[in-house]
Amino acid sequence: MVSEDVLRTHLQELRRGTVVVASLVALRRPDYGYALLQRLTDHGFPVDANTLYPLLRRLEDQGLLTSEWNTEESRPRKFYRTSDEGESMLSRLLDDLAAVQASITGLIQGVDR
Amino acid sequence: MNTLTNRYLAATLRSVPAPRRDEIATELRASIDDMIEGRTDGGTDPATAEREVLTELGNPDVLAARYADRRLQLIGPTYYLLWLRLLKLLLSFIPALVGTIVAVVEAAEGKGFGAIGTGIVVALHVTVHIGFWLTLTFAIIERTQTAVDVPEWTVDQLPDAPVHRNIPLADTIASVVMLVLTIAYLPFQHYQSWVHETDGGNIPILDPALWSFWLPALIVVLVASVIFEVVKYRIGRWTWALFGTKVLLNLAFAVPLVWLALSDRLLNPALAERLSWVAEADNRDALGLAIAVGTAAIVVWDLIDTALKTRRQTA
Repeated sequence: MVSEDVLRTHLQELRRGTVVVASLVALRRPDYGYALLQRLTDHGFPVDANTLYPLLRRLEDQGLLTSEWNTEESRPRKFYRTSDEGESMLSRLLDDLAAVQASITGLIQGVDR
Repeated sequence: MNTLTNRYLAATLRSVPAPRRDEIATELRASIDDMIEGRTDGGTDPATAEREVLTELGNPDVLAARYADRRLQLIGPTYYLLWLRLLKLLLSFIPALVGTIVAVVEAAEGKGFGAIGTGIVVALHVTVHIGFWLTLTFAIIERTQTAVDVPEWTVDQLPDAPVHRNIPLADTIASVVMLVLTIAYLPFQHYQSWVHETDGGNIPILDPALWSFWLPALIVVLVASVIFEVVKYRIGRWTWALFGTKVLLNLAFAVPLVWLALSDRLLNPALAERLSWVAEADNRDALGLAIAVGTAAIVVWDLIDTALKTRRQTA
């Protein structure tokens, strides 16, 4: 039986890169930090708040996201949206994700059980 | 207001770069409020919700480091191995070297045994300094992200595969220590033999006349034996060439010793004046014979033992 710790570490490794992909997809529709966190969680991407908030700023610094302050509501919120650059990067990442999935499928079929 | 949230924000923003501080503050405060609201909507009371949210966000220093993209390590994997290698290299000889030099200088100034203590203290200081400054340098390189050309690893750097050692280090050290003690004894007995003249002066055990040739010659043989032990350890096992050298060295030491003992030239004639037992010629002959036979027996036994080892290890 695999220990819980080992399993958790491997799952974490597997999930690490997908948070960026998921955020870039989700932010095709502009949203602010907490709402994005909720949406990602609802869609099966549980992310820690202390990971997501700094990540959004980093992606913005890299030009993959644009942002806009919305001051009309009860509290000022910063809305992020996937930029054109982010979009082209996203398509590369999605291609790679699909390629990984295809490779794994091929490998599973090719190996006798 | 000294609420938990305010304290949390202050703690986080403290180590975030100033230009972005206000913006991050506004956004983070809104996010925290959103999170608290999300919980109070579910029926949790506000104070508990605030605690839970801040606990979930975790240590503010970690969060700040993530915002600033700062590294939470003194020396990361890029430089760690280089740092470790330099540290080992520098510590392997500099403290000992400096400590020895200082001790020698102190001793030359007549400080006596205190010089050794001074040498050790200086060596310890040097060790601490090397460790501190080297680590500081690497920590700065790590943080400034200076491009340092870490040499690429190539297959040519592979060390030789370790020789299978049949000669334990402990044996080599024991042999070298014995040889050095023997070398040290020869001059030592000349000045301190615990046999005294009537006026309190020291009587050497070995004939001082031997210093004109035989004792220096024996010391040369012993020094050669020390070198032999080190070479033997480097090679790692007995070979017939080593065995041959060992035979020569043993004979070069034993033959003069046996000959001197049998011809009654080994002991200091002055001893006879103080020790009546030595004064009798028969006793001196018996003693010389005992030394000669003992030496021969040790040499023969040693050579047989070595020959057996050599045959086993070259097989």
